[in-house]
Amino acid sequence: MGGGLIFLALFVCIGLAALGFISIPKGPNQVVARTSVLLVITCCWLMWAITYLAQLHPLIRPKRSDLRPPVFAPNDY
Amino acid sequence: MDAAVGEFPSLLRSETMSLIQLYVPIDVAHSTVEQLAVLERIQFKDLNPEVNPFQRTYVSQVRRCDEAERRLRFLTVQIASQSIPMRPYLDTIGLFAGRSGAQALEELDSRLVESEQRVAAMNTSYESLEKRALELEEARQVLIETDVFFREASSRSEEIRTSYDDTSAPLLGDVEQRGVEESGFGGFELEFVAGTIDRARMPTFERVLWRVLRGNLYMNYAEIDDSALPVPASESGSSAGGEEKKLRKNVFIIFAHGQELLDKIRKIAESMGATLFPIDSNADKREDKLREVSSRIEDLNSVLYNTNQTRRQELVKIAESISAWWAVVRREKIVYATLNLWQWDQGRKTLVAEGWVPTRDIPLIQGALRQASEDAGSSVSGILHELRAAKNPPTFHRTNKVTEGFQAIIDSYGIGSYQEINPGLFTVITFPFLFAVMFGDIGHGILMAAAAFSLILMEKKLGKKGTGSEIFDTFYFGRYIIFLMGLFAIFTGFIYNDIFSLSLNLAPSQFRWPTDFKAGDVVEGIQTAARYPFGVDPAWHGADNALIFTNSLKMKMSVVMGVLHMSFAICLQIFNHLHFKKPELIWAEFLPQILFMESIFGYLIACIVYKWSVNWEEAARNPPNLLNMLIKMFLSPGNVLPEDQLYPGQATIQVFLLLLALVCVPWMLCTKPYLLWKEHQKITEQGYHGIGANGHDALSQEDESDAEGGGHAVVSAEMDEEHEFDMGEHVIHQVIHTIEFCLGCISNTASYLRLWALSLAHAQLSEVLWSMTIEGAFEMEGAAGVAFLVVMFAMWFTLTVASAFPVANPEAHVKAALTLVLLAVLIVMEGLSAFLHALRLHWVEFNSKFFVGAGRAFEPLTFDGTDEIPAGVIL
Repeated sequence: MGGGLIFLALFVCIGLAALGFISIPKGPNQVVARTSVLLVITCCWLMWAITYLAQLHPLIRPKRSDLRPPVFAPNDY
Repeated sequence: MDAAVGEFPSLLRSETMSLIQLYVPIDVAHSTVEQLAVLERIQFKDLNPEVNPFQRTYVSQVRRCDEAERRLRFLTVQIASQSIPMRPYLDTIGLFAGRSGAQALEELDSRLVESEQRVAAMNTSYESLEKRALELEEARQVLIETDVFFREASSRSEEIRTSYDDTSAPLLGDVEQRGVEESGFGGFELEFVAGTIDRARMPTFERVLWRVLRGNLYMNYAEIDDSALPVPASESGSSAGGEEKKLRKNVFIIFAHGQELLDKIRKIAESMGATLFPIDSNADKREDKLREVSSRIEDLNSVLYNTNQTRRQELVKIAESISAWWAVVRREKIVYATLNLWQWDQGRKTLVAEGWVPTRDIPLIQGALRQASEDAGSSVSGILHELRAAKNPPTFHRTNKVTEGFQAIIDSYGIGSYQEINPGLFTVITFPFLFAVMFGDIGHGILMAAAAFSLILMEKKLGKKGTGSEIFDTFYFGRYIIFLMGLFAIFTGFIYNDIFSLSLNLAPSQFRWPTDFKAGDVVEGIQTAARYPFGVDPAWHGADNALIFTNSLKMKMSVVMGVLHMSFAICLQIFNHLHFKKPELIWAEFLPQILFMESIFGYLIACIVYKWSVNWEEAARNPPNLLNMLIKMFLSPGNVLPEDQLYPGQATIQVFLLLLALVCVPWMLCTKPYLLWKEHQKITEQGYHGIGANGHDALSQEDESDAEGGGHAVVSAEMDEEHEFDMGEHVIHQVIHTIEFCLGCISNTASYLRLWALSLAHAQLSEVLWSMTIEGAFEMEGAAGVAFLVVMFAMWFTLTVASAFPVANPEAHVKAALTLVLLAVLIVMEGLSAFLHALRLHWVEFNSKFFVGAGRAFEPLTFDGTDEIPAGVIL
């Protein structure tokens, strides 16, 4: 877990992108398909990584005022 | 300068176009144009631009087509007014199979002339018959009403005596009564004038008569029943079978004594537009006349009916093939209009054509030429010749049904210059993605994707034209765009952890709630060792300070994405510079731009990422505010207070980056004009040294014929004129460009914050919808609570989606219909809004970094649209 997951995901995505790049057959749509695969993987990884990174060391924590104290402790089951 | 033609077309750049010349013998010309129009791959140039339309070669044929079109229009309007359905084009294709367009037009011409004459003749005869019928009907009404008058007069014998002193009694009433008794008006010559007049004119008529005759008349009138008089078709001015408007007329009968008075009455009546009818005073004779008129009316009506039937039959027959006729005429017109663009070579009896063709498709054109000569039955076919050094080619992007939507929205901004990098290629993914960043919700994404998917499934049925409705067609044309938008919205919904404003718990949250507190206390989540693996932690949902966290996240995400998007756009310049063989521009334009952008905003996003990756609790420091840091970098460079320091060495690095950005500005400002000036110098120097200067590649497109003739002085003067170089203009242009870029960097980066703003708005609206409808229902208890929940669910569901799901209960139908509005409003309204903003980001922020967009679109010769009747013919 932790920050390493981002790099792990990055390498997985690079791998997927490479795989996609190679495996798209020649044809009139090859350029579009390749570009699209690369862009999709890039955009999705980017958005996920930003969100994950932002929660890695959060500066604030969630606060609520509408909870009721539990009758049973969480680990009692 | 053109790219070599690759094995397959690519959307990265527009297609390589060639200017070709066709030499076509006359007898093959017509079928050649037909074949090329079917191919849709060639755009012809007008080789006779100075010739006015009336002097062109094929003007008589075009005129014939126009005549035929006029006749077709007439017939179509006739058919439509009779509400006869016309067979659609696809069913009529077989009618002209096997015949070339020219033969078909010949045949069609004669048939059209014949049909038009017949229908027009039937129309005129119908109209005249109708008019006659009307006159007869009026005569009949007059006969009927005057009969009533005479009978009324005879029945009023007693009344006359009693009302003798009554001033309102008619003057000649007693005389009339005596006259009727004596049948035939024996002693007293009482004469009358009878006729019809427009109801509107009646009062005026009466008044005029009264004044002129000084009251020496007795007038009676009655209204003709409205349903009895149809207006003849010619008066209403509409086509055959026009609507029946009612003519409002009155029958009048005026009794007066003396020839003079009667003459006056007749003159006045005629001047007021009344129609006079000769009526006999003898009742029997009137009855005979009435019978005669009635029988004639009946005869006329039957003739009218027969005429109508015959005309209708004729029109029905025509309606069966009129779609095919329209297609033939429209195609012939296009063919002859195209032939008029070609040049007529008198000596060799051929036509010369010039046109733009994608280089890849030249074999197709040659195939079409061969096919055309086969069709024309000639052994000689057209010859294709490729021209070199052609100027100003059109821009052609070869799209398929998926990419044509995206290319269309990019083309609305501007057609790309010939062979520059096409933003449409990247738009296929970045546009739906940026939309989804502003729209993230799994539920809404699923609904949107499902709706678009259903449109995609209907593709075969709806074809290219779609339905008639314009609004629906807009969505239909963009179905693939909407589908991708929906799919990405599902993804971003997972990231934002938002499904219909609720959150999913895909994994244990990284916060746990404390256990020792009292109800109503403000409790803070405790960080655990785990981290939520995908998206925003569900613990934030419903927290009081949720917005503080999500705003920070989304704002930073927007800036990061924006800077990366723009940097990508700047990098695309490299490809353009390399392709157009101007590598010096990479140093002159690309490098300063990218350095300027990255040293300020690239630095910013690096700091954002760095600040996220530091564990501030462990470091036991307050994390510095990045915005202040950026501002202070400019306002007081080199001074970084220890408590504001993000990383060691910050001050030095910031000063370095600032200086780098500062250096880029004069770099951008001066380098390109200097390069242009140097080039110009080189040209003029070469001009003095010799003729036929090839000059730079950039200036090589001028005609080679200039190089010959004249002395050196003439040559250099010509060269000077052609390469008119205004240094001042270039410098000003570059100044504007530089200022635009530098200021644009800041404003465009801030502009990307709309990604945050819209996603916030969407999330809040979604939450409001939920809390206003169903959430309340969950809190109610007991049976009422259950019922309320059901109702609210129906409301919420329908509001959200509804139309696709059948609802058995009619009550729920009503509530569903009411609530459909809310979710439909949410998805459609927010969808359109986010669509617009994502489009703006592409058009302004992305395109301005590399896109020139000064091209013209490729508009090939096509028969598209000829299988429909042109709009406006049938109203």
